[in-house]
Amino acid sequence: MVEPRSAILQGTLDLMVLKTLEQMGPLHGYGIARRIEQVGEQAVIVNQGTIYLCLVRLLQKRWISAKWGTSENNRKAKFYAITTAGRAQLKAETENWERISGVIGRVLQPGSGLPAEASAKAGS
Amino acid sequence: MRALFYTVLARIRDFLRPAAGDADFDQELDMHLGLAEEDKVRRGMSREQARREARLELGGVAQLREAARAARGLPWVETLWLDGKLGLRMLRRSWGLTLVGGLAMAVTIGLGASMFTIWDTVAGTRLPLNEGDRVVAIQSFDKVAHRVHRETPLPDFRRWRETLKSVEHVSAMRPFVPAVIARDGADDSVAAAEMTASAFQLARVQPLLGRPLIEDDEREGAEPVAVIGYRLWQEGFSSDPAVLGQRIQISDTPHIVVGVMPRGFGFPVNQRLWTPLRTNPVGEGRPGRADAFIFARLVPGATLERAQAEVTTFGLLPRDIAAGTTAQLEPRVVPYAAGLFPEVNRNTWLAGVIFLLGALLLIPPCANIAILVYARTVTRRDEFAVRTALGASRGRIVIQLFVEVLVLASGAGIAGLLLARQFSGRLARMVMPTMSPLPFWMDFKPSLATVLCVAGLSLLAAAIAGAVPAFRATGRWRRAGFVGLGNRSAGARLGKTWTALLATQVALSLAILPSAMEMLWGVFRPTIVGPGLPVEEFLTASIVMEGDSSRFEHLRIEAVRQLTSEAGISGVTASADLLLEEPSADIEVEGGEAHDAQAQFNSVDAKFFEVFGVRFLAGRSFDASDFGPGRTPVIVNRSFVTQVVGETNALGRRIRYRETEPTRQTAPPPGWHEIVGVVEDFPVSNNEPTMFHPMTRAPHPVNLTIRAPSGIGPAAGRLRAVASGLDSQLRVRDLQSLDEMYWQRRSFDHMFGFMVGAVTVIVLLFSMAGIYTLMAFIVAQRWREIGVRAALGAQPRQLLIGIFGRAAVPLLIGAIAGCAIALRLHSALPIAEAGGRSIPVIVPASAALMIVVGLLAVAGPARRAIRIDPTEALRVS
Repeated sequence: MVEPRSAILQGTLDLMVLKTLEQMGPLHGYGIARRIEQVGEQAVIVNQGTIYLCLVRLLQKRWISAKWGTSENNRKAKFYAITTAGRAQLKAETENWERISGVIGRVLQPGSGLPAEASAKAGS
Repeated sequence: MRALFYTVLARIRDFLRPAAGDADFDQELDMHLGLAEEDKVRRGMSREQARREARLELGGVAQLREAARAARGLPWVETLWLDGKLGLRMLRRSWGLTLVGGLAMAVTIGLGASMFTIWDTVAGTRLPLNEGDRVVAIQSFDKVAHRVHRETPLPDFRRWRETLKSVEHVSAMRPFVPAVIARDGADDSVAAAEMTASAFQLARVQPLLGRPLIEDDEREGAEPVAVIGYRLWQEGFSSDPAVLGQRIQISDTPHIVVGVMPRGFGFPVNQRLWTPLRTNPVGEGRPGRADAFIFARLVPGATLERAQAEVTTFGLLPRDIAAGTTAQLEPRVVPYAAGLFPEVNRNTWLAGVIFLLGALLLIPPCANIAILVYARTVTRRDEFAVRTALGASRGRIVIQLFVEVLVLASGAGIAGLLLARQFSGRLARMVMPTMSPLPFWMDFKPSLATVLCVAGLSLLAAAIAGAVPAFRATGRWRRAGFVGLGNRSAGARLGKTWTALLATQVALSLAILPSAMEMLWGVFRPTIVGPGLPVEEFLTASIVMEGDSSRFEHLRIEAVRQLTSEAGISGVTASADLLLEEPSADIEVEGGEAHDAQAQFNSVDAKFFEVFGVRFLAGRSFDASDFGPGRTPVIVNRSFVTQVVGETNALGRRIRYRETEPTRQTAPPPGWHEIVGVVEDFPVSNNEPTMFHPMTRAPHPVNLTIRAPSGIGPAAGRLRAVASGLDSQLRVRDLQSLDEMYWQRRSFDHMFGFMVGAVTVIVLLFSMAGIYTLMAFIVAQRWREIGVRAALGAQPRQLLIGIFGRAAVPLLIGAIAGCAIALRLHSALPIAEAGGRSIPVIVPASAALMIVVGLLAVAGPARRAIRIDPTEALRVS
């Protein structure tokens, strides 16, 4: 049976939150959760509460900053923004992610498990 | 790395104000639910459904709050705090364990901390002077004999003073202990120093009154002046502000007081009186006094290495061949304190050894506490079953038990630190009697390094006594399945490990017992059998001449003659030093192995041994010819023969002193000395190797010992009368009875004896407690079985055989192993040198005592076993 939605990889939520804040500018927790759901097209499970634990971690590392403000429907809300250190971290993490996903992509392609010569020998 | 640093900071901040973080987080979740709800209502859901959906999507609020709290603060600190509180409660409940275990740990940690404090203080090179760490000593090192010559000839000093560039204020000093007569009193043992004026500039300490010594004072023919210390000013001049210009008599010479140094100033070591040191060639006239301790201050920017390189370039001047050729001597620049105490190096490995020694000392008490903690742990299995059911891991339970004992160990650590603060100074004086009074920079207060050492020892104690039994107990439960903990039959067993541990403990206790008993016998035997001399019959005093002392020798002989003829006085003898107060020096035996032997020495008159009634074991006493020129006979005591010569027949062997510098007022005589007689140790408590030389000419002042069988009170009166009758300037000082002196010295031995005794008793008590715990548990575990056996007709005798048989295994194994170790240890330890005295068949006697102690410990549990009610046991079965 194929799972229709998959749990997100550990550690990647931080990356998703940083990217969201970089793209969208300051957002409150609910806004970040909604944005990740939209971009993920409901394909990944994000327990919205875990966003707040992720925000606590990122705040402690000073990769994001927080400020109380007023939401679009006049509610008091805490807005998070990415910091310079956060941008640098995001850049480094993104490059790392692209490198790893590229490697994994190549490994998972059909026939890529063996070098060309070995494949030819196996074929003969 | 920076992110980690910020995280730690943020966690600490949130830990300190947890309520603010919680309120913030709650407000944010409320906001989230409100926004989500409104969003869903806008998309057509009913409000009720929207609220429910929003909550579902967010997840459990309570769990989120807990997770956020854990992510924000320092959760392990809170857990440890809770464990600590629980630990305190457990300590209150198990007060027996707290008392015995805590006391043993505190004493052991205190001992370890004291040793560390002594090392840290003695090896510390920092002087409490302005830039004290830049003060250095310059001395010579004998490359062949591998020993340091603390003092250097004055010609070298003069050359260094003129030429060295990397050091300034090159100074010289010679300590001496003169008799001082000040305006308000006399003292015959003032620590003083002849010192160059430059030393005061080097020390950078201003006088409280007047001036320090100046270079003019060192000139030949200058008026004798002195600078006095604060205490001497208080005691000798009643803190008189007009002390400057007053006279103080030092040895025989009156000096003018020109300055008073402030309180606490004891430079260069612990002096309280300073006179100028004449370093010109004329001042070297006195034999044996041409050397001095040389020290200086590094100039700004110079290093010890640079100074060493410079001094090496200049080298040493050629010396008298007899004193050692210059070729084998090299000058060395060392930190000041290391120069004064070259035997103590600040090697970190030594700190490691001391820590290790402390750790080794901790093992026996901690192993005992571990047995008790293990026993307590297995009785708490219901509690741990509940905790396991609630989700606590094995590691969590082990940490809890560790923290419980850590609370006890921390308390013991604090008590140990207080003990070290209180006793390390006294302990230092005990192990280093020559260091009294202590150098002015040593205060033996525990430093930060000592606190760290104590923390390490406490952690180690908690690990041995807490973590080890916790691992053992929980490991057994894990194998049995934690869920089965509620079942009373599971897990509560004291296995082979503990039996082995008990056997080890019995063996170790037995191993030290014979040596400890001999030490105790050595220390307390003189108290029990007496000093071997009628000490109450002896009166001691010193006589001194004020002013011109040229007639002193004649008056001394006349005083002895007159006193001897007095009624009630059976004998009078003169000696350079008093009995029990002899100085000691390094010696070597001709043809003997080159090892560091030390002996006390004294110069005595012909009547000395007769007056004290000392028995000769071999050879003869001094005769008139021994007091003539060219004769160097010596009489030694029994301890000298056993400890130094090592042969039965010591007569004819020759000995000489390695150094002939004076330690007090007398110097060891130079040259070889032939043993002509061996006397019994006297008093019996004296087991120091001692050498007695014929006193050819009495020193000034000289000590007299008067034997007055009919009472020393009248004899004291007669002594004063004879002295004043002979010459108005002949003074009698320091009158005291030998009895008083003897018991004062003994009080020190008694303190040591009580310490050894206390440790021995603690070791025995622990062995007893360990065996008792083991047997009590076995009886508690097997009470049903014992009850059933009793119901089936087993006699109390059979039950007792079973119980005692179980205890006999560790006891016998321990006794056999202990005897083997004891025999080894007993022959290897220098018990006689340390003041012990051999006892025949001590090893088997100790083994018997140990077995008796073990059987006594079994008596309680055995009594409980035969009182088990068979009907009760059958009913439960």
